[in-house]
Amino acid sequence: MSLKLDRESTAFTFKGGMLPMTVMELTSADPELIRDQLAGKLSQSPAFFQHTPVVLSVEKLDEPHLALERICAVCRAHKLLPVAVRGGADPIKQSAWALGLGWFPPQEAGRARPLESVAADEEAPAELAVPADSIGGGRIFRGTVRSGQQITSPSGDLVVIGAVNAGAEVLAAGSVHVYGALRGRALAGIHGDALACIFCRELHAELLSVAGNYKRLEDIDRRLLGTPVQVRLDGDQLGITSLT
Amino acid sequence: MAKIIVVTSGKGGVGKTTSAAAIATGLALRGNKTVVIDFDVGLRNLDLIMGCERRVVYDLVNVIQGEAGLSQALIRDKRVENLHILPASQTRDKEALTREGIEKVLETLSKDFDYILCDSPAGIEGGAQLAMYFADEAIVVTNPEISSVRDSDRILGLLASKTRRAERGEEAIKEHLLITRYNPLRVDTGDMLNLEDIREILAIDLIGLIPESEAVLRASNQGVPVTHDASSDAGQAYTDTVSRLIGEDVPLRFHEYQKKSLLSRMFGGGRR
Repeated sequence: MSLKLDRESTAFTFKGGMLPMTVMELTSADPELIRDQLAGKLSQSPAFFQHTPVVLSVEKLDEPHLALERICAVCRAHKLLPVAVRGGADPIKQSAWALGLGWFPPQEAGRARPLESVAADEEAPAELAVPADSIGGGRIFRGTVRSGQQITSPSGDLVVIGAVNAGAEVLAAGSVHVYGALRGRALAGIHGDALACIFCRELHAELLSVAGNYKRLEDIDRRLLGTPVQVRLDGDQLGITSLT
Repeated sequence: MAKIIVVTSGKGGVGKTTSAAAIATGLALRGNKTVVIDFDVGLRNLDLIMGCERRVVYDLVNVIQGEAGLSQALIRDKRVENLHILPASQTRDKEALTREGIEKVLETLSKDFDYILCDSPAGIEGGAQLAMYFADEAIVVTNPEISSVRDSDRILGLLASKTRRAERGEEAIKEHLLITRYNPLRVDTGDMLNLEDIREILAIDLIGLIPESEAVLRASNQGVPVTHDASSDAGQAYTDTVSRLIGEDVPLRFHEYQKKSLLSRMFGGGRR
């Protein structure tokens, strides 16, 4: 009985989590300039600007003070939600806190890389064995993605020429294409792109997710298992349709 | 220069040590100077399987820590001339092994031997990674069950990244699949994964298939590697495996259920 009582009195639990997060690296502190360029980007890829949370990085800026409030307003006007600031001197940290934003210390030197070349994390050993080629904003991986490995395409599509085994994870900002059996987890549209899709030759996936809407293996129509399919977001439901 | 082969699996209890002992014996019987090293510090078993547990004085940890010479720790097998065993320590913990120490031992052994077999501990932590680090080839031991296949998949990922060859960007480790405890009858009834499914998931070449056999347990308890039991199915399957390992083309056996014919029942022969 005491166990049950404990559970009822717990309002929340803290859990560590790794979430994909877009960093907006500021190279100018001029809100007007940012506004103009955001407007340009918005017309190019409207799907990206859907209240996407971003971290404003001011590491490249060499200014002790910043019109942070105005920059945030510009972002929000373009459907970007600043959630935190990274880097900057003490006054910037103070004004971030005053605006209700989090503050992260600057990234260590040498580790900062532009988004386009961010590789899968260190737990993705396949990086070393079978390098995934970068093409445009996407990537091609040749070989079997094995249990415990994670392959990410942070700014485009991911193409896997081979199988994705159980316990492996493939992620892409765009669509995920698997020319083989998909037995692991596939997450497309990790930055919220609802138009992203998942394609595979043989469906056995543990988890399918498009823009955060997911289906587990248990939820998948058994008749589709083992067949080639495409997975698309239809409203807020994942639609899985046969490709044959 | 010796060929360094790691026998590994991720999962415990699938037959790594049995396979390492049987394959080492088979290689030695074919005239290759072979040493088999037990990397399972703290849970040593290889000496029991090889039947030399009463002759262990020094072990791998003693050699690495400079308390004994390599020649003092190497145990000569009583049955096969070209075979040596380097036992693990039962009393130390896994932290006693260092990469530099292992490298030195392997370098020295490489001068005298044709084959060095590293019998890996279970798991994917330090001990298992150390056993595979210097390998040229890997034998991944897998049982026909889903958890074993997944763990083997994980180990294959590590072989492709956490080894010296991978870190130096050299030619990748040659990976071989060894399926053990295969029971064609239970595969037919759907209790076990079948050969083709395992091969498809792991996507590496099959080096051997060892049928589930009473001979294996008997051999383990007697401390005689099953390769010596030439009349047993498992013994023959390991002999086939060794032939493939040294480059011969041998057809696969024991993967299909054979109904015993009336004649073979009457005469008790024709065991396949």
